[in-house]
Amino acid sequence: MDDTSTAPKAKATAASSVEQSLYEKREKIYPREVHGTFAALRVTAVSVLLGLFYGVCWLRWDGHQAVLFDLPARKFYVFGLTFWPQDFLLLTLLMMLAALSLFFFTALAGRLWCGYACPQTVWTEVFLWMERKIEGNRLQQMKLDKAPWSARKLRIKATKQFAWIAFSLWTGFTFVAYFTPATDLLAKTAALSLGPWETFWMLFYGFATYGNAGFMREQVCKYMCPYARFQSAMFDKDTLIVSYDEARGEPRGSRRPSADPKELGLGDCINCTMCVQVCPTGIDIRDGLQYECIGCSACIDACDDVMERMNYPKGLIRYTTEHALEGKPTRIVRARTIIYSVLLLGVAGLFFYLLGSRAPLGLDIMRDRNQLYRERGGLIENVYMLKVLNLRDAERAFEITAAGIDGMLVDGPGEPVRVAGGDVAEVPVVLRASESELPERSTPVTFTLRAADDASVSVTEGAKFLGPGR
Amino acid sequence: MELLAKTRWMPVPQRFGAVLWLSFLMATAATGVFFSILDPDDLRYCVPFPEVSRMAAYSIGFFLFWLLTAVSGVLAVTFTYPPPPNPDETPHSNG
Repeated sequence: MDDTSTAPKAKATAASSVEQSLYEKREKIYPREVHGTFAALRVTAVSVLLGLFYGVCWLRWDGHQAVLFDLPARKFYVFGLTFWPQDFLLLTLLMMLAALSLFFFTALAGRLWCGYACPQTVWTEVFLWMERKIEGNRLQQMKLDKAPWSARKLRIKATKQFAWIAFSLWTGFTFVAYFTPATDLLAKTAALSLGPWETFWMLFYGFATYGNAGFMREQVCKYMCPYARFQSAMFDKDTLIVSYDEARGEPRGSRRPSADPKELGLGDCINCTMCVQVCPTGIDIRDGLQYECIGCSACIDACDDVMERMNYPKGLIRYTTEHALEGKPTRIVRARTIIYSVLLLGVAGLFFYLLGSRAPLGLDIMRDRNQLYRERGGLIENVYMLKVLNLRDAERAFEITAAGIDGMLVDGPGEPVRVAGGDVAEVPVVLRASESELPERSTPVTFTLRAADDASVSVTEGAKFLGPGR
Repeated sequence: MELLAKTRWMPVPQRFGAVLWLSFLMATAATGVFFSILDPDDLRYCVPFPEVSRMAAYSIGFFLFWLLTAVSGVLAVTFTYPPPPNPDETPHSNG
């Protein structure tokens, strides 16, 4: 019976200590290792995502690296697609798609992103795994940190740091490998002939990984993450959250496995604090929904394990919604999810439409800056420099025509311009027109660039033809 | 005033972390927009360092953006603090 009376008090102190620790000097959190359904799911997600990150930079496609953001050449390769600076709108749409998906999934199922996909979670998971392999389990780690420095402690700590730093450097290398072709980068690294910026970014990204995943960990989520602060705006009472079933669990208290909790006047929570020990952000889920909860569901796995051993039904801590906890039905289709999905579909549709209708050629027109116009042989002459962009991967020939003034003469390259795949050719073109056709100082003209092998592939750009005026 | 006194502020290191990280995100976005419109090679004749490579220009541009966004972040955080009480007001008490 004692447990019953102390339970609310224990809860209150737990709550206030959590509140204090928020802005207190940070104490290192030693999350206990956890096994179970959601842990397996997270390990799968981590393996797939990291496998993609470390692996994709080594894939080849059509003679180039499959995914390469070639900044020096201002071209992005993504498998069969090549993106140019003029495709910036597509990148913006892609960002909007990513943001809207985040909103959509947050509204549906809470912080899925944080728990399974965020780089902070993913890399922290790997760093924790290395720490566990080298320093041992939670208790061993705590003991080691408390112990005075010794040869053994130094050896273990040095091994961990070595593993962490090596992994971080490899991460930094992989990051840069998306900007400088991976094979070149490897050769340059082996020959110690990396460029200054490559070296810098490799160390920068490596250091960021080391600092974020090795040391800052949950601090990043608590203090630095904008999503953690804004996600509550996407929540409602129908959003899946990791939640402790207070009605079932309270009053909490320890008891023998054989004891009947009803007889003791206890709820199902045996107050074993497993859920607190496994929490990577160091909170007590039993205090209710907190913004520090990254929805990793480690506490669900831990609690289910305990419930199983106690022969109680699982799910004292589970994915549920506020409505479900109140005994009301949970609606998946609701205004919020409908709005997010309509926006998502709209932006996705626009993105794929624009992606599909990208013209595989581009034309930039620059006027000769030295002279506005000149007179030659009774005609007014304007000089232009045309930049012909072949946005395909294969070589192509292009024809250039101009229109806009009656009787205008076009003095161009004469024959189709051959441009290598993904290359730019500069073509000077001279336009000549009779002064009698130029009533104004400035007359609009158009240039049309057309693929020689396919007349439907064309682009028309406007320019100005300058004359003396009348 | 009582409310402000009770408000708990984030500790200084975390505050710097927050400013640095958020300004980093903004600087990334700004760099992306800026250099997708402007090719540093086209600026070659307008800047005093024509020998700067594109890679260097992107990197330097990014850090300049980061500096700008971080400075504005630090200033914004500083200015959200309550100002120090005026000296002639402090002895005043509600006795």
